[in-house]
Amino acid sequence: MNSRLRAAAGLLLILWVGWFAGPADAGDLKDTIKNLYGSQGIRVEPSPFFPVETRFQASSLQGLDQLNSQLTSAIVVPSFNSSVTGFTFDIERGVPVRTTESLGTLLTERATTLGARKLDVTFTYTRVKFTKLQGKDLDDLELVFRRNDANEGCDPSSPLLLARCDIIKANLKVDLTEDIFALIATYGLTAEWDVGFVVPVTHIRLIAKAHAAIFDQFGNPGGTKLGDIPIHRFGPNSTQPDASGGGDETGLGDIVLRTKYNFLRHYDDLIPDMAFLVELKLPTGDEERLLGTGGTNLTGLLVASRTYARWFTPHVNLGYEIDTKDTRQNAIRYALGFDARLLPELTLAAGIIGRAKPDGSGTGDHIVDLSLGVKWNPIKSLILRTNVQIPLDKNSGLRADFIPTVGIEYIF
Amino acid sequence: MPILTPRIVRLLSTVWLLGAVASFPLPGEAANIVALKGADVDVYDEALDGFKSVTSRAQVSEYDMEGDLQRGKRFLARLKSGPKPDLILAIGIWALQVVVEEIRDIPVVFAMVLNPSTVIGQEARNITGASMNVPIEQQIALLKKASPQARRIGVIYDPSKTGFLIKQAERIAPDQGVRLLPKAIASPKDSFAALDAMQGEIDALWILPDVTVLAPESVQYMLLFSFRNRIPLLGLSENQARMGALFGLSFGSGRDIGIQAGEIANEILSGRHAEEIPFTTARRLKLTVNLKTAGKLGLQIPKEILDRADVVIR
Repeated sequence: MNSRLRAAAGLLLILWVGWFAGPADAGDLKDTIKNLYGSQGIRVEPSPFFPVETRFQASSLQGLDQLNSQLTSAIVVPSFNSSVTGFTFDIERGVPVRTTESLGTLLTERATTLGARKLDVTFTYTRVKFTKLQGKDLDDLELVFRRNDANEGCDPSSPLLLARCDIIKANLKVDLTEDIFALIATYGLTAEWDVGFVVPVTHIRLIAKAHAAIFDQFGNPGGTKLGDIPIHRFGPNSTQPDASGGGDETGLGDIVLRTKYNFLRHYDDLIPDMAFLVELKLPTGDEERLLGTGGTNLTGLLVASRTYARWFTPHVNLGYEIDTKDTRQNAIRYALGFDARLLPELTLAAGIIGRAKPDGSGTGDHIVDLSLGVKWNPIKSLILRTNVQIPLDKNSGLRADFIPTVGIEYIF
Repeated sequence: MPILTPRIVRLLSTVWLLGAVASFPLPGEAANIVALKGADVDVYDEALDGFKSVTSRAQVSEYDMEGDLQRGKRFLARLKSGPKPDLILAIGIWALQVVVEEIRDIPVVFAMVLNPSTVIGQEARNITGASMNVPIEQQIALLKKASPQARRIGVIYDPSKTGFLIKQAERIAPDQGVRLLPKAIASPKDSFAALDAMQGEIDALWILPDVTVLAPESVQYMLLFSFRNRIPLLGLSENQARMGALFGLSFGSGRDIGIQAGEIANEILSGRHAEEIPFTTARRLKLTVNLKTAGKLGLQIPKEILDRADVVIR
């Protein structure tokens, strides 16, 4: 019976991956912001005083050109499912003992593994509505565009030369949401060794709307004027000041393969259980469609945990993630938390999760989240889980007010 | 005219023989074995693997009770209403409990059961198997080797749980040059007085696989007793050795027990009756030696023991 269920679960996994792994129409959601006013920048109306075509280029996209890595950094991959809902064996009494220590963690890791020949299959749904970028509201961003020849300097003696320092400010409203359906499977090869994968299917919606206005270098509206006539202005032959772009994409995200080996367990009263986890994130998500980072990431994580009084398990995770595509995204990953069995069928999990990029690009170089969640085991092998990830520092990177996740987990 | 003419006797004999042959799998025909697991624990899976490794010609189908006796009974009720298997493998005490209650006419082999005679009544003639119990001779011999001057071994026990083990030990002990000093208790709290009464009367202490004795406070008190009186304590597991017992002696592995059960199953499938085959004890053992404890007790553990130890705590 169990083997049939496992076979059915395996088939479902294959179908799930196959369904979303097919080729998709190439889009370009990634460059939505960059190309909002066209790939050549903003062209102003040709002026009788200045008949040369004048273009303004965005001086900084404030991290919006790194959306892929920002999106990835913002969402923590659910933990290896180490739910302990089964039995251990009491050698002295010769009987199995129902293990009610905890139902395990949600986003962080603990050292214990699933158990030999057990299969844990979990579906999760995560909704992320991003609201901040580097502390600024996503619906009130400002992009600054400068003239192509602004670096040649502004000469106050001539309005035409002074106008080189005119700027165009675009008030930008970004609606960025992500729905992630993840299939997570973990299999216990031995009592101490788990292997597993995470297959995310992502729906991403990015809509950007902007309204541009011209200012002089001192911030006066209208820009530099010759008499009462502005040198730069929008008109029927220029790029229009109002622009919008974006759309929706759905597809396979970056698949994560992982393995965890619990090399130290029940050693003595002081030393915690220890495990080593290796995680490989593959570039299966289309980078251009904002479904993946386009790079392969390798993470090594040392995990320590210990259960006290059969209900309280604190844990620490520390590791390093290597981004083979962009070394500036390499990050130290850490987590500190606990899971606690409040009732035999209810576990509370909480943790602080951090990711610090020592050589980061300046956007989202150190993000710290609080994770709170519960797992409920209503019937034997079924676990319902929900958690919320709350950014503790909204001034770093692309952030949501909170990230809720719900899931259902079954152990075969 | 007699009713049983030679012809009728021959006919009846032939029918009986055919029936008997039909009731056992023919050579080349895979025996149908149902393995009932009491719960999903790794050591039971290991036992099942071991069992399958020596019954490779049999068709073994598994069922997990998930720790639920009622679930096990419902499964056996369904089993009885359909084609009967050639043999049932009961893995663990819970599986054995339901099988003892429900099955009378199918051979049963158990594995991974401690003190099986407390579950199986005298009337059950269809049940045998491989217990997890450690042979008593080996336990006493181990204490003697570690402490040759030991003559009196103290043990506390609940007669309703491990009285049969005490009877066996009392028969074996004189052959090993020791005398058993058993103290019967009826509840865990009696263990303190029982131990106090042994003060100065014993040279070694032995922990039995007895749930009344194994209350955590009782085990702690036995460890304390061992240190205070500087006498060795023989425990039941690596865990107890780590807690401070001089030795922990347990079954070697679930796989070994499963192999033993498989060998018994093969005998039954070859035509032997279950009642002809006695329960076995663990053939391979796991020995843990705590040298820190040995040092505190002033004992020199012989090299022979250390060489055979699976775990040495230094």
